[in-house]
Amino acid sequence: MADIASDMSLSATRPLRFLKLSILGWPVYAWFIALVLVPNLLLIGTSFLRTSNGFIVFDPSIASYVRLWKSSSFQFLLLKTLATSFGAAAIGCLIAYPMAYYAARVVQKNRSVLVLLVIIPLWISLLMRVFAWRMILGQNGILNSALVGSGLLDQPSEAFLYTGFSVLLTYTYIAIPFCFIAIFTALEKIPHALIEASQDSGASSWQTFRHVVWPLSRPSVAIGFALAFLMTVGDYVTPSMVGGIDGTMIGMVIASQFGIANNWPYGSAIAVCLMVSVGLILALVLWAGQTKGVLTGDEGARPPVASRRLTSGQRLLRAGAMVLFALPYLFLYAPLAIMVLMSFNDSSVQAFPLSGATLRWYAELAGNQAMLEAVQRSLIVGFCVVLVSGVAATGFAFALHYGRVRRARFFEFALAIPVAIPGVVLGIVMVLATQLAQIPSGVGRIVIGQASFVMPVMLMIILARLRRLDGALLEASMDSGANHWQSFVHVLFPSIRGAIIGGALLGFTLSADDVMVTLFLAGTSPTLPIWVWNQMRFGFTPSVNAIFTLVGVGSLLAILVCNRLIFHAQTRGRSAEG
Amino acid sequence: MAKTSQAILALAGIDKTYDGAVRPALDRISLTVAPGEFFSILGPSGSGKTTLLRMIAGFERPDVGRVLMDGADITDVPPFRRDVRTVFQSYALFPHMSVLENVAYPLRMAGARKAERLAKARDCLALVSMGDFAARLPHQLSGGQRQRVALARAIVCRPRVLLLDEPLGALDLRLRQQMQHMLVSLQRELGIAFVYVTHDQGEALSMSDRVAVMSEGRIAQLGTPREIYFDPASEFVAQFVGRSNLLPIEGAPHEGSLTALLGGRALPGVMVPRSGPARMAIRFECVRLADAAAPADPTGGEACMLDGTVEDVLFLGNALEVNVRCGDHNIIAAVPTMGGEGFVPGRPVRVLFDPGQATVFHG
Repeated sequence: MADIASDMSLSATRPLRFLKLSILGWPVYAWFIALVLVPNLLLIGTSFLRTSNGFIVFDPSIASYVRLWKSSSFQFLLLKTLATSFGAAAIGCLIAYPMAYYAARVVQKNRSVLVLLVIIPLWISLLMRVFAWRMILGQNGILNSALVGSGLLDQPSEAFLYTGFSVLLTYTYIAIPFCFIAIFTALEKIPHALIEASQDSGASSWQTFRHVVWPLSRPSVAIGFALAFLMTVGDYVTPSMVGGIDGTMIGMVIASQFGIANNWPYGSAIAVCLMVSVGLILALVLWAGQTKGVLTGDEGARPPVASRRLTSGQRLLRAGAMVLFALPYLFLYAPLAIMVLMSFNDSSVQAFPLSGATLRWYAELAGNQAMLEAVQRSLIVGFCVVLVSGVAATGFAFALHYGRVRRARFFEFALAIPVAIPGVVLGIVMVLATQLAQIPSGVGRIVIGQASFVMPVMLMIILARLRRLDGALLEASMDSGANHWQSFVHVLFPSIRGAIIGGALLGFTLSADDVMVTLFLAGTSPTLPIWVWNQMRFGFTPSVNAIFTLVGVGSLLAILVCNRLIFHAQTRGRSAEG
Repeated sequence: MAKTSQAILALAGIDKTYDGAVRPALDRISLTVAPGEFFSILGPSGSGKTTLLRMIAGFERPDVGRVLMDGADITDVPPFRRDVRTVFQSYALFPHMSVLENVAYPLRMAGARKAERLAKARDCLALVSMGDFAARLPHQLSGGQRQRVALARAIVCRPRVLLLDEPLGALDLRLRQQMQHMLVSLQRELGIAFVYVTHDQGEALSMSDRVAVMSEGRIAQLGTPREIYFDPASEFVAQFVGRSNLLPIEGAPHEGSLTALLGGRALPGVMVPRSGPARMAIRFECVRLADAAAPADPTGGEACMLDGTVEDVLFLGNALEVNVRCGDHNIIAAVPTMGGEGFVPGRPVRVLFDPGQATVFHG
């Protein structure tokens, strides 16, 4: 079941000899070696070195691993990190499953809006979302001031922020959209006729769910779980912002080995341990989620038929379901809304009641030279990353799709490895690689580091679009007398243009938002998120709210445009097929 | 026609309009199905036949009207408590279950013990000659094999009514003919009432005891295949079932009696109930062609005669369809290939038919 799409695409489109030059395959191999293979080998290699007086000694040794083996605090921390991420992903799936079920199989109107609303927070700065939680949970935060104000508490509690719980809560918050997307896609794909066939066979709603819906959606639950787990397990931003001492996670330790502690071999060894245990857990989860059989999509999910007169009891039940459905949305958006509100609040204390509207935090930003530089740098970096990744992804997509690469399936997955590496690990991997190539820290390094994970995302989007194209299109074009190049210009490129632009915008938001990888590469030339991150470590002013509101509005606009492009391209593709 | 008292299934005055639709999907539908009957619902797409089937299965509820099974009202009974099974158009086999598990699924839902349900499922698979495929998954089967598994799953519990929604639609011609024979013999063997939805008139006529022809949410005609074919109740049925010429005629007093006129020429023997414009349907195979110079009355009772010229000829294998221009009208005749070699475009011919085989519609 996990490879529905890949199986279908294989049968649906014949690999056609596109260009006679198999030179087209070389850039794929080169990218793989330079940005995936060598950096990761470096990480493993470095973990077998040791340091002396803060300098790396080139002397093979397993000292770091021995130290880890003996360190019970490391083992406890690794276990705690894995458990927290696992728990957050599990809770995320538990919340997302009913939501996705409701959106995919109950709601009939505005389904795409409901889905978009869950996805949007995914693309709004991670820093911003985590920061919003800090504002809510903090000692002078919204939650405390509300509780004290209503008389439930005598004095602000310290129990909310800087605990393991606050990390779990924020991780869950991050996990929900990932789980939702994966589960929703699966549930939406189940043909309605299967549900009816089950009912027709005498199965009750619960039996139908247990024997038909659940087995068919289980692989995607595993995928959603895996995504959420990956996103949080290498996250050092969240724990250092809301975790405090109790909420320390392993990502922070790795980051500090490459920062203050300056022990790269030790940090590398921890990273290798993290990667191995994450890999094991994910393999286990995906194995547990598999279902045999292949969904042959001869019929899409027909919208469930309503138009049934409801009894008052059923109506009440339906209203209840709607309220329950709305709750997670509140959970997703309340923190963001509070942040926007606070950016207009005329007080440097982040608490209710509000003390009047002001624009002074925004005005303050306009005069901040360092920030403006950071913004400019973010734009330059984003542009370069998108350019490099876009060109590479388009070329690679054609090379992979039209069989110009040996073992295309392997390389498709291999190129995507950086996406599946926990953020902090990818950061240090790219540090090692750029260090070896003697690229100075700054814009150049950042572009290479970010391109390593932006390119695979764009590649996946473009490849998906290429695979949906009718294989006969290219044949028809050549049949009409167009050569390869003319076919590309007049037929293929126009039909994937939407996907390229959509992918580029998505890539830009990913680049502009990144902290995890960029922090290691920026040196003294921070991008905007890094600049904000540095500010927040020295305490913050409400102007941070203002930045985030602006960034949020900016990424929202980008998302809307890019979603429109991707979605539009999809519907157009579908109508052409149907 | 089966009486209501012994009907296994009865629909009484069913109306259904979908939300947002202007036209009703079903409009005052009433029919009965006798136990063990092969009942077909025939109609073009959009005529409401699938809606009707889904209503019997319990996936739709009527706005007005009742669905009765064995005399008991089942209008509000959910699909999983009805003794009705469906063979879905898309087959709807569960992709994650083997063929055997698929067939055993209804028994499992009924709470049968494992050994028992597997044994029964095996028997049922043997019945549709799929015994060798029990361990396969649906995606490893061909279309015709999936079809038979879907059928096995539907009959494994021996329901009293089996609904089939264009089950042969996706199969090629040869396979379709094989399946038709299998369905008929299976139906005889099991004694289950089949309600068979199709847009293929050949299927409906060849397999059914009775046929309901549907048009725009209504039953246009309900009767045996013979009645439907030879005595269409409306222009729609005449056109939809079989292949007919539909000619505009005029009822007018001619030589003392009310006579049908086609383009001013009298058609003696064609019964027109009243004067004024009307239309006459005559099947292709009821039209005969003769030499233009042939004597007035050769053999049969073909009292109607028109002269024309051959415009074009279609070769259909066992027959020729000859399109003849008679004045302002075209009449198509289906003639046997053997002996029809002489009909070439431009040749003058005489068109003959028996007025008793023509049907006249007013309005």
